[in-house]
Amino acid sequence: MIGFLHPWVLAGLVAAGIPILLHLIARRQPPTVMFPAVRYLLATTQEHQKRLKLQNWLLLLLRTLLIAALVLAAAGPTVRLTGVPGHAPSALVIVLDNSASSAAVSGGSPRLMLLKAAARGALARATANDALWLIGADLVPRRGAAAELRALVDSLEVSPARLDLGEAISLASGVLATETRPGEILVVSDLQATAVTAATPTAPLIVARPGGPGVRNVGIASVATGPQPWASDGGRVVVALVGDSTLPTPVSARLGERPPRQALGRAGGAVALSLPGVPGGWWTVTAELDADEFRLDDRRTGIVRVAPVARADCVAGDRYITAACDVLEANGRIARGSEVSVGKLGGGLSIVFPPADAAELGAVNRALERRGVAWRFGSMRTDVAATDSGPFVGRHRVTVRYALETPGSGRTGVLATASGSPWAVRSGDVVLVASRLDPEWTALPVSAEFMPFMDRLINRAARGEVALVETAPGLPAALPDLVSEVRLAGRAWRAEGGELFRPSGLGVHYLVAGTDTVGALSVNVDPRESVLESMADRQVRRLWRDARVVELGAAAAEAFSSGARGDLRGPLLWLALACGVGEVLLATVRRSTA
Amino acid sequence: MTRLDLLDPFEVARLGGLEVTTKGVVEGFLTGLHRSPRRGFSVEFAEHRMYQPGDELRYVDWKILGRNDRLYVKQFEEETNLRAMLVLDASRSMAWTGSPETLLPKLDYARRLLAALSLVLLRQHDAAGLITFDDDVRSITPPRSRTTHWHQLLRVLAGAKAGQGTAAEPALRRVVEQLRRRGLVVFVSDLLLDRDLALTALRFLRHRGHQVLVLHIMDPGEVTLSGPSEVRFEDPESRDAVVLRPRDWANAYEATVSGVVASWRAACRRHGIAYHRVLTNTPYGDVLREALALPRRAA
Repeated sequence: MIGFLHPWVLAGLVAAGIPILLHLIARRQPPTVMFPAVRYLLATTQEHQKRLKLQNWLLLLLRTLLIAALVLAAAGPTVRLTGVPGHAPSALVIVLDNSASSAAVSGGSPRLMLLKAAARGALARATANDALWLIGADLVPRRGAAAELRALVDSLEVSPARLDLGEAISLASGVLATETRPGEILVVSDLQATAVTAATPTAPLIVARPGGPGVRNVGIASVATGPQPWASDGGRVVVALVGDSTLPTPVSARLGERPPRQALGRAGGAVALSLPGVPGGWWTVTAELDADEFRLDDRRTGIVRVAPVARADCVAGDRYITAACDVLEANGRIARGSEVSVGKLGGGLSIVFPPADAAELGAVNRALERRGVAWRFGSMRTDVAATDSGPFVGRHRVTVRYALETPGSGRTGVLATASGSPWAVRSGDVVLVASRLDPEWTALPVSAEFMPFMDRLINRAARGEVALVETAPGLPAALPDLVSEVRLAGRAWRAEGGELFRPSGLGVHYLVAGTDTVGALSVNVDPRESVLESMADRQVRRLWRDARVVELGAAAAEAFSSGARGDLRGPLLWLALACGVGEVLLATVRRSTA
Repeated sequence: MTRLDLLDPFEVARLGGLEVTTKGVVEGFLTGLHRSPRRGFSVEFAEHRMYQPGDELRYVDWKILGRNDRLYVKQFEEETNLRAMLVLDASRSMAWTGSPETLLPKLDYARRLLAALSLVLLRQHDAAGLITFDDDVRSITPPRSRTTHWHQLLRVLAGAKAGQGTAAEPALRRVVEQLRRRGLVVFVSDLLLDRDLALTALRFLRHRGHQVLVLHIMDPGEVTLSGPSEVRFEDPESRDAVVLRPRDWANAYEATVSGVVASWRAACRRHGIAYHRVLTNTPYGDVLREALALPRRAA
């Protein structure tokens, strides 16, 4: 089979029609010249007409062939050489897809076993003169001799990480960029549709995929635990299912080792489960499905922080704060007490609003300074602004506000902003809000979000935010401020708040700031791995131009085919040269004999 | 002194009318002859003239040189013993030139050539007549030896317009009516005519004892083929046309033309007819020399 290194050049074959086109154009309406000796011309042409006609056609054929041969040569044609043992020294990058989906069992054995066998087969054909690399789901190119890479393949386990095949091919292309030997990329993968992304391979690409029917699967896409912390009377989790199975499947969820709650769910849907109350602390939420052919996504963990509701001391006389506290208390979201002072600077956790009388501002600022709070109320601003929508507060009109000022950088502790300026900040155990909760200052008190906002403000912002982060193995997760360490079952990684952390394993990682646990990082299988449907060969070829898609069994035979492929450019250039010489000779002979 | 007979015919034509240029050509021609065309004829002394480079030394009058220390040559008058009939092809093909900026049309060239030839003949006191034809005989001027007859010939030549086709055979047959005695027939044509008929007529003239000279007038553009990449060539007489690429056919065409010329030359030689191919860029002197020498050689 003939392949082309630059198939787009084949469009130039249109140019092969140029001689014919020129011939046709030249035939149109030649100028007429009066010439008395036409009888001599007629006598001349009658003698040579037949031979010249043949020569004309031959010339046309040679010119067309010349252009076609040049265009074909420019397209870089190669042909598979059959019956030729071995191959020329080559560079081969094997992308072995050991991502989570390779754990799916097909035909009684995990797919990874089949993939590894194909990779081993390709490596078995390698010679000492070949340059070999192996890239797995961790996207680390490993170079080695054939024996070393075979051992590596043997030891390769299913990775919980997702493998972006387009990224892997680009990486392989980069690896081959410095190679002088004919390069080739062999992708051995289940070709999971969600893993196939666009790439432009710079070397011949062979894609080996398992044949047979696909595996139907249903897995857990996410476990949502809602607003944190939970009260000690329990909470609700929402388990979302993903996959291509249409059958209902039982879903269970439990807190720690407490008895699970169960419900039926379907792929594409979600199941809400109420979990009973537990004592305060960090609790692992585990959602599970019945076992199927792909086990890795049948279990997913999350984390909840359980704490009793805040005991708040709401300032008397402020109409909206008083009303909010009454409603929250009535709904069990707060209790009366002195844990959090709302509307005034107390001795403990405090939520401070600007005073109604500007004359009191200096006293408030001095009190804040005495408490070691880094922020102050600055000058009053009456330009109309709006809170910038975020997790803490939505978008609301702000008519009057005080500038919140800090001698520091102003980047830490900001909970919400209004038109880019800090609007709510936290410093130590004090939360400052730039506007009073009054419709003359902001539209927030008369909006539907007022109660949830007050709940967040008293239960979460004032008591310290709990950071719950979710990610998948290998994917980066931004660590919250103040985090100094990440811990997982006895292992610990030094970290710095704000940096990106790439977990490699599954499970709940605790985020620690000093001695306090300030959040948790739930690492689960990427939900895209749960969709096991393979991409059609045709689509693969469209995304990866010129890729040869073969069955796993043919991977070994196809490997190193670049080295075993004959380059047709030389013969085509010789043909073009022969055509050119033939054309010149024929044209010369034609002129001399015509 | 510039010899007009050796100049480019186109340049000579630009000097003036037929009469002026022809006289110049003939003067130059006669002056420059190294060998007298009148050799073989009985001659008697006529006058002296100044020596011109190229004159034969045997005609130098040594007595005058001795007396006056000046070089004079003796000139002789001849007896009129030749009647010549000039036959001019004035068909449409003769009106063609391949390069109007630099070359005379064949007919114009032939006019001047015949004017010169007739003047040479008349100055030798030979009789000269003229027949012009295209697809029919257009004019017949009987041969006369009077010097004033030359102006009559000039008028006829100047009035000869390019006609349509070419029918040489009747014109050549009419020569017999004009030449009762043996004489000289000069047939001036581009020979784009019915070759067999023309040859038959020429053979007939030869058979009647006339010396026959065929001047085959050709434009250089007819000898070599050139032009744009592809051209439709059309015959102005027959309207036959052919489309071809001149570059491709140039060599073959030249071979054909050479073959045609060779064929005419061979056929003429076979029948004792003098043949001379004349290109319209050839100086008249060369042609006149050939024209006056060839009939004797052929004879």
